Amino acid sequence: MNKRSITQYYRKHRTAIITATSGLLYAGGWSLGYLTSSEAASSAVLVLATIVGGYDIAKTAYHEVTNRTLGIKTLVTLAAIGAIVIGEYWEAAAVVFLFSLGSYLEGRTMRKTRTALQELLEMTPDTATVRRDGELREVPARDVEEGEVVIVKPGGKIPVDGTVVDGESTVNQAPVTGESAPVHKADSDEVYAGTVNQDGALEVQTTGAGSDTTLERIIRRVEEAQEAQSPTESLIDRFAKYYTPAVIVLAIGAYAVTQNAILSLTLLVIGCPGALVIGPPVSIVSAIGNAARSGVLMKGGEHLERAGKIGLVAFDKTGTLTKGETTVADVAGFDVATDEVLSLATTAEKKSEHHLADAIVDAARERLTAATDGGTTVAQADETVAGYQSIPDPDDFDVVAGKGVIAHADGHEVVVGNRALLDDRDIDIPSTVASYVREREGRGETVVHVVRDGDVIGAIALRDELREAALGVVAVLQDAGIETVMLTGDNERTAAAVAEEVGIDDYRAELLPEDKQSAIEELQTDGHVVAMVGDGINDAPSLATADVGIAMGAAGTDTAIETADMALMADDLERIPYAVKLSKATRWNVLENVGLAVLTVTVLLAGVLTSYVTLASGMLVHEASVLAVIINGMRLLRY
Amino acid sequence: MSDTTQFRVLDFDCPTCASTVERALANTQGVEDVEVHYSTGRVEIEYDDNITDSDTFAQTIENQGYTPQPA
Repeated sequence: MNKRSITQYYRKHRTAIITATSGLLYAGGWSLGYLTSSEAASSAVLVLATIVGGYDIAKTAYHEVTNRTLGIKTLVTLAAIGAIVIGEYWEAAAVVFLFSLGSYLEGRTMRKTRTALQELLEMTPDTATVRRDGELREVPARDVEEGEVVIVKPGGKIPVDGTVVDGESTVNQAPVTGESAPVHKADSDEVYAGTVNQDGALEVQTTGAGSDTTLERIIRRVEEAQEAQSPTESLIDRFAKYYTPAVIVLAIGAYAVTQNAILSLTLLVIGCPGALVIGPPVSIVSAIGNAARSGVLMKGGEHLERAGKIGLVAFDKTGTLTKGETTVADVAGFDVATDEVLSLATTAEKKSEHHLADAIVDAARERLTAATDGGTTVAQADETVAGYQSIPDPDDFDVVAGKGVIAHADGHEVVVGNRALLDDRDIDIPSTVASYVREREGRGETVVHVVRDGDVIGAIALRDELREAALGVVAVLQDAGIETVMLTGDNERTAAAVAEEVGIDDYRAELLPEDKQSAIEELQTDGHVVAMVGDGINDAPSLATADVGIAMGAAGTDTAIETADMALMADDLERIPYAVKLSKATRWNVLENVGLAVLTVTVLLAGVLTSYVTLASGMLVHEASVLAVIINGMRLLRY
Repeated sequence: MSDTTQFRVLDFDCPTCASTVERALANTQGVEDVEVHYSTGRVEIEYDDNITDSDTFAQTIENQGYTPQPA
């Protein structure tokens, strides 16, 4: 080892070396006194132990005093100097050694919390293979320009955000979205920097590189969230500001009254606001870090503390409890062939952009064939297209918001819509139709009527499949004692059927988007702390109104992250119970830490006043309590 | 010209330690804005690069007894 590397080694491990040296000297001084009865030699070594261990502490204390931020190091320095002045060398050395050891261990454990997020960043590769001037080049990932095409080999990490322009593969997106199942990626799909390409080669056109990637943005937001103080933290911080000076005044006062120097110096040591100020931030930072690694962005300690009190979770139905992919479940014709009903409805709907219209058009494309007999599979596929293509465009069409569409084609008037639209236009609904509609709605489907020139000739039942996870998620929340409510624009009967299928406690049906917000307000007036789960864009107002707004599938959308208190990066409903339980666990963890801190100070204070606790034992218990709250808080990293 | 630099201090052992460093940096000539976070160890400094530089800040943090790392 040359001189330079020794210096580097020393700088890197300074605290550990100093602590160990001070500990050895302390043990040496103690043994000298015990074995040789040479008090002078023993005292000299103990004073040396105090100086070695205390130099850095005193230096920081000096800065604390000059910067007027009186802290624990000022108190420890005063106590150590005081102990030496009154000849308690053993106590002085013990206090300094125990404090150094405690700080060293605390620093080490905190480092784990502070670097938890860095692991995520290290997921992004440093270099990228990019096609430049017709050849492949290896360049630093942050130098890739927007629009350039990056080649990602099978098994390689994706270095940039971008759009797939060639190739097909599955990608493990866990670092960004927390989803454990790999996602299939093909032409024009988005991929994120830091995710892992699995089995195929991909060519990706860059949309963001370096610090301008989704992963980097998420991590910046998570850090901001960790740094934002929760109400408990700021309360304690304000308290701590006056606490330390108050302890000094108390120690001086105690000395004035009792003339007992040991007592007043011990007060300085145990009065250090350690566990109390350190506990809550550690709990919250750990919880937010854990959530980030599971694809849940918590916006900060304040949001987390509120989420810990959630008593009711309201779910938007479409796209949250359901997949948001509506499909045609059944087509009924009343004295008319079903293909004709579907074809007529398609004419009316084909220019509309409503999601029900899309489902009807898709069904027509799939089901309507020009001829049904003969031919190979390939020929059939061609005929399918031909069958769909023969459906005429409407001459004109009008969308009636929330009700349906009215169109004209081939000299006929075609109305496709719900009961309300038919009522508006005084169209009679025959009883056979009404009973068909009731039956389908009873299964949780949405039904539209197809009307030609004032006669109901058919009906189409549409279904939005529940997510597989929906039942389990509702059940887990109920087990945790949390009420569940579904909010939907569907009619009463459909809503009731879906609610029963999911096993949800309650539902509110026939809500317009603005009604959802007032539904949340009503639930709040009933005395619930309400969380709302929605998609972040259409549901933005109700997410903002809820005590805790939870946005799903937020990885690509900044607006969703803005309005929500928590954002699930993936469209993964199963994260909801996890997020709610983690919040509750965090709230308990903070309370435990505050409780432990207060209990420790109380016990120590009693110990000091009854002379059971002196400098060294006081410091030992104090440091042990600080380590205990840190370790307790860090449990949340592995929740 | 105004410039911004970041450090990462992983060895803060108490919230007051972070406040002390924050005050010390804020009192450095040429520093316009400074944020020091105990929970993440992140230090962000906005400064006038005609008056002072990043090395000065690293030295100041070290003087207070903590180890600055480039962020």
